[in-house]
Amino acid sequence: MTNQRLNEGKMSNRQIKFDANHVDVYYATTHAIKDVSVDILDKTVTAFIGPSGCGKSTFLRCLNRMNDTIDICRVEGEIKLDGDDIYDRGVDPVQLRAKVGMVFQKPNPFPKSIYDNVAYGPRIHGLVGSKSDIDDVVEQSLRRAALWEEVKDRLDAPGTGLSGGQQQRLCIARAIATAPEVLLMDEPCSALDPIATAQIEELIDELRNNYSVVIVTHSMQQAARVSQKTAFFHLGTLVEYDDTNRIFTNPTDQRTHDYITGRFG
Amino acid sequence: MLDMTALSAHHGSDAAARRSRSRRNAQLRLQAYGLIAIGLAGAALVTLLWSVFSKTALVLTESYIALPVEVPGDIDPDNIRAANFNGIYRSALYTAFPQVSGRRDRRALTEIVSSAVLFELQERVEAEPALIGQTFTYPMLASDDVDLYLKGVFGRLSSEAHSGDLSMTVDGADIQLFSTANDFNAVLAFTKDALLDRAAFLRGQAALQDTGRRVTEGQAVELEAGEQRDALEARIAGYIAQRDRLLAEADDLDDRADAPGGTEAMGTDIPSLLIHVSGGWIRATEVSADRLRGRILVPPEGTETTGPENWKMYVNDRPEETRKVSDAQIAYIEDLRKRGAISTVFNWRFLTSSDSREAELAGIWGAAVGSFWTMLVTFCLAFPIGVLSAIYLEEFAPKNRFTDFIEVNINNLAAVPSIVFGLLGLAVFLNFFGVPRSAPLAGGIVLALMTLPTIIIASRAAIKAVPPSIRDAALGVGASKLQTSFHHVIPLAMPGILTGTIIGMAQALGETAPLIMIGMVAFIVDVPGGVTDPATALPVQVFRWSDFPERAFEAKTSAAICVLLLFLVIMNALAIFLRRRFERRW
Repeated sequence: MTNQRLNEGKMSNRQIKFDANHVDVYYATTHAIKDVSVDILDKTVTAFIGPSGCGKSTFLRCLNRMNDTIDICRVEGEIKLDGDDIYDRGVDPVQLRAKVGMVFQKPNPFPKSIYDNVAYGPRIHGLVGSKSDIDDVVEQSLRRAALWEEVKDRLDAPGTGLSGGQQQRLCIARAIATAPEVLLMDEPCSALDPIATAQIEELIDELRNNYSVVIVTHSMQQAARVSQKTAFFHLGTLVEYDDTNRIFTNPTDQRTHDYITGRFG
Repeated sequence: MLDMTALSAHHGSDAAARRSRSRRNAQLRLQAYGLIAIGLAGAALVTLLWSVFSKTALVLTESYIALPVEVPGDIDPDNIRAANFNGIYRSALYTAFPQVSGRRDRRALTEIVSSAVLFELQERVEAEPALIGQTFTYPMLASDDVDLYLKGVFGRLSSEAHSGDLSMTVDGADIQLFSTANDFNAVLAFTKDALLDRAAFLRGQAALQDTGRRVTEGQAVELEAGEQRDALEARIAGYIAQRDRLLAEADDLDDRADAPGGTEAMGTDIPSLLIHVSGGWIRATEVSADRLRGRILVPPEGTETTGPENWKMYVNDRPEETRKVSDAQIAYIEDLRKRGAISTVFNWRFLTSSDSREAELAGIWGAAVGSFWTMLVTFCLAFPIGVLSAIYLEEFAPKNRFTDFIEVNINNLAAVPSIVFGLLGLAVFLNFFGVPRSAPLAGGIVLALMTLPTIIIASRAAIKAVPPSIRDAALGVGASKLQTSFHHVIPLAMPGILTGTIIGMAQALGETAPLIMIGMVAFIVDVPGGVTDPATALPVQVFRWSDFPERAFEAKTSAAICVLLLFLVIMNALAIFLRRRFERRW
């Protein structure tokens, strides 16, 4: 798969989706993210890698303002989505999160039916009105999450009754059912076995055609397999951000080199 | 430096074995303490339930005395209430015992049925005017004391063996009975035992007189001869005379008790002896081995001599003065029982009627309905306010000093004695806002205040227990905070919220003190029709009845406790059911 990536065109030609400039994040007095600037491209998979506690998840959660739910968290700097600052006073984080979907580390389906899990987003945003349209959205979302064939006969079964890999795909289906523009994934495969991981990775590759995908991962192989751009974080700073094949073959920073060759982290 | 490898040898040493033994023993001791504690708690519970249930058994049934009642034909069917039903039911009793005459005896006779028979008979005839001018068998409710006698509370009649022929001589209201055998020896024996008891009592009195003598002598020694000393001497002489008189009397009683034969009086402080002969009942007042003198309770039909199979001798071990049913009434009841007029039925009345001053009429329906209205008000106030407070504090409130202060105060409110809430209700709701006194509305408001902290604390715990991943998931698909709370968090917290609410309500249901403060302790006969009618509540009813001296109310108290416990058990079962039913796993 990595070889295929190498053949793809230059990434910089694509449109910039997220434009983050000099972002600092503080948890009370802890300085978690230090002056991070990064451009995330549309229809691209961007991987955030780095050792534990380096701030990659925190930065990811800044992109859809999930950090707002943490009282002691404070974000400074500027993050633009399609040119508009998402931390502007006029921006409703609820609207933002409809546009920027998120998949979490642990599969967290609602304790409701599979159907209701997927239909929940479209319903609350009023994306579609009629019952048949909702059925359509549910089916399409589940198909794109590669789960439709497995669950089409038991849409009324509780989502929590699925296996771990299926639950995570259900969460992805739920995220894409709201028709987002960006999909944030926070270590989506850390709780899954290799087979489920392979299914999810294939799915991420599919999703790249329609969405900008940002994935946080601890697995460098996964980053190399699924992403076109990679950002390496270390101790709250963005050390290096470049094309994936470049990062993994010829990193410019010594720390990146040490990390990807397994010297630390 | 310490050699760590050498320390390994310690594990095999005797010291190590001792240590492990003592640790094991400590564990066994702790287990034993735990078992003892559980045993004590269990024994306490069993004792409580046994004492309640055993008394409740007395309330399970009520007794009726069915007698032919003649409704005179001259009653105006349009004005039945004007008729003298008091006379009608009384004359039914007088007809049943035509021999009973005299005010006191007739009064004792009419007191075996409840005074409510008057109204019940009147209602019966009002419902069925065709009964006017007819004689029909009507079951009259027995009075509470008669009911308790029938259940054995005031002793039971035990038959005594006898073998002689009995002959009788009537002497005014008294009668002399002679038996050809020494049939009354056993009775004479326990009558003489009573003499010994009396003698022992007199000796105790004599000892008191002697103490008085000793004390007075001590005072007299310190005085010079004179007027004062003479007065004391006189008192001492009085003490001695009194003491000697009592001792002589006691000795005399002892002699009488020891001597064979003789004639002894049977007072009301010893077991009663009743003779049933020729359809009559005689209460013995004086007894010797083969003869006795007695008071006629129900006159016998003839005075001819009868064989041993035709007369009966009964003893009630409870002395007459210790029970509320007299020997005459026992004679009437036993006579009616022999005629098959007494029946016992399940006591629906207790469940369907309201409070009454007559123990046999008192029921818990009014209190149960009062409790229902009170709980309704409590629920309607405490549930929404409590749950919404919990949601706000847990999901929306900023974490600052102010919310910390509120939280501490809510937790403190849960520990405030309930009577304080009662005082608050009295001062604020009754006196300031003018909520009607004794009404379920006032009680419900006060109990709601008391229940609120419980509901808030339980709801907050339930909301806190919903995993944050569910909130993240909802926020992640773009749900607002409100949608996250109401679509996901609260449905998941609902079992815990409901459990807390039901437990709080159960607590409120059993609360007495605040209701007393706001006047729900009144004697209320009507079933309340709404939240502003005067009412009482189940625990208050228990409290009121427990205060009454009648034995029947003692039983009613236990029965009311049973009903209250039943409601509490149902509510707790409901809480468990809801928790099981709506519990979700994630």
